[in-house]
Amino acid sequence: MAAIDITDVHKSFGKVPVLKGVDIAIASGEFVVLVGPSGCGKSTLLRLIAGLEEMSAGEIRIGGRVVNDLPPKDRDIAMVFQSYALYPHMTVAGNMSYSLKLKRTPREVIADAVTSAGAKLGLGLLQERKPRELSGGQRQRVAMGRAIVRKPKAFLFDEPLSNLDARLREQMRFEIKKLHRELGATSVYVTHDQIEAMTMADRIVALNGGIIQQVGTPLELYDDPANIFVAGFIGSPAMNFLEGNVLPGPGGTGISVGGQTLCRLSMPLAGSAQSKVTVGIRPERVMLAGDTSGLQAQVVLVEPTGLGTVLHLELAGQFLKLFTTERPALKIGDTAGVKVDSADLRFFDAATGQRIRVAG
Amino acid sequence: MTVAIDQSMAIRHRRAWSSRVLAVSEPWLYASPAVILLSAILLVPLAIGISYAFRDIQLLDPMSGGYVGLSHFSEIWNDANFWNALRNTLQWTVVSVILQFVFGLILALMLNRPFPGRAVVQALVFLPWAVPAFLSGLNWAWLFNPVVGPIPHWMVALGLASTPENILSDPSHALWGPIIAIVWWGIPFFAITLLAALQSIPKDIYEAAEIDGAGPLQRFASITVPFLAPTIAITLLLRAVWISNSADLIVVMTKGGPADSTQIVASYIFTQAFQRLDFGYASAIAVVLLVILLVYSALLIFVRQKLIKAG
Repeated sequence: MAAIDITDVHKSFGKVPVLKGVDIAIASGEFVVLVGPSGCGKSTLLRLIAGLEEMSAGEIRIGGRVVNDLPPKDRDIAMVFQSYALYPHMTVAGNMSYSLKLKRTPREVIADAVTSAGAKLGLGLLQERKPRELSGGQRQRVAMGRAIVRKPKAFLFDEPLSNLDARLREQMRFEIKKLHRELGATSVYVTHDQIEAMTMADRIVALNGGIIQQVGTPLELYDDPANIFVAGFIGSPAMNFLEGNVLPGPGGTGISVGGQTLCRLSMPLAGSAQSKVTVGIRPERVMLAGDTSGLQAQVVLVEPTGLGTVLHLELAGQFLKLFTTERPALKIGDTAGVKVDSADLRFFDAATGQRIRVAG
Repeated sequence: MTVAIDQSMAIRHRRAWSSRVLAVSEPWLYASPAVILLSAILLVPLAIGISYAFRDIQLLDPMSGGYVGLSHFSEIWNDANFWNALRNTLQWTVVSVILQFVFGLILALMLNRPFPGRAVVQALVFLPWAVPAFLSGLNWAWLFNPVVGPIPHWMVALGLASTPENILSDPSHALWGPIIAIVWWGIPFFAITLLAALQSIPKDIYEAAEIDGAGPLQRFASITVPFLAPTIAITLLLRAVWISNSADLIVVMTKGGPADSTQIVASYIFTQAFQRLDFGYASAIAVVLLVILLVYSALLIFVRQKLIKAG
């Protein structure tokens, strides 16, 4: 177990900057998920921690020791690859014991470690199989087994579940999380899947364009996004964004969308008086008025999910999704009255995308 | 009434039979152009060639052409030159294949890591493959010739020889001349196939091994070698057949001499057929070579199947 401290890390490939000054402090035993769209630099950051790439500038410490110039094998970390990267000509047991053999660990110790890792991962009967005789889920387990037999200071996961089907992914999510609880090892997990990030992380690091957008617990990012990127990336169905006009008045600040008043805030928005603002609201926070009161919106599409219904609405030329656990009797083309609670609205600077908080 | 029934049954029977013949022969009809072409250009000459082995065919003897049975084969059995050629063939094949493989592997490993100008070097390395064997034979023969070539003088300068002499005229070392030429000519083949195999090894397996603590030599031994093994086995076996069969460099550089010291079976066949003009005897030797190579090929196919199963 060890803390990982990443300080002002930069990485460029040729002239293309991929990471532009990243700082993260990962506590010992913490499960941190790096999340972001492809090309955001999350895998590069993981490979820098592993030592598979050299950083252009900055410092990484594992367990207090600067590892900048250490080769991967001396960093005492284990990595689980997206492709599993199993040694195809070695058996399951051979794959798991390879690192211990290289360290000239006594044979009995290796056997014990492999047996206990195999038992933990349900690979007991497969020890003598070759990787090609295993299913995707089993290969995934072998890759994790290979990581845990070494008892490393930290686990690094590079999109380990993206080659699995949806159901298996759900199961492995649970198993990785359970394993982390049992081992208590510091883990850094890279994914582009916000559901994996939400369900597994102690803390999420949202990355975009090589810059950290926000660091926080899953619900902090969900409820209190720092900017429009995080707000839009976390959550499914994604947050709605509407172009709104700010109308200062004596009774408070009004926000209107397409001529209809969305809400009236008793406090003004922080920062300078702007006339335009992006309003974000989660689909499950948009409510049906039940009658024709509230904002008038046209039904564009009805998506029943079983758990509930996603209504795609058009509000004065802008699109808005509504999620309800009810099964409303609305058809395409109907007019629905919707309402929002001003406490559920998140405001973003229309130009920079940064969050604007309500003063007070 | 009965007559009419009988007749209609007979017609139906006949029709059923002819349609069955058609159904059976239909695929053969479709395949017939290829079958005819292949037999005309492969099987017929092969059969004629083999038949020569049992006949006395000498171009300069108009009375020859008669059936001689197995007498050519008993002649081969007692032909010291043939056994000498067979020994030379073994040496020629084994040494050439191993040297081509070793240098080809080294080249492939070097070309597998990125460096500036790799594309140019790669193109240059593969150049010998594009040189006709005849031309490369001439080229090397001249290089070994102390009158026009530099190699004998370099050997003297390096202290490997006391006087600049032509290696091709020294019976105890002459076979090395064509071996060096065919190694030079065949390295690109191994470099290309092994480089392709190297490039198909996923990079992240090396990275996983690096994290597991494997050094460069351990990564080579436990990842590169097992990944390359099937390719190595197949290319070595195939290449051995080609090299043992190829007489062109020897014919161009030494004509089998001096004193038959560089004669391999393939060049011996060429000498018998086109210098002594004894096509019957040459064909008999060719049949022996064919049988040896068939046995070897059967072995090759067996090994290949094993490797595919072990995969």
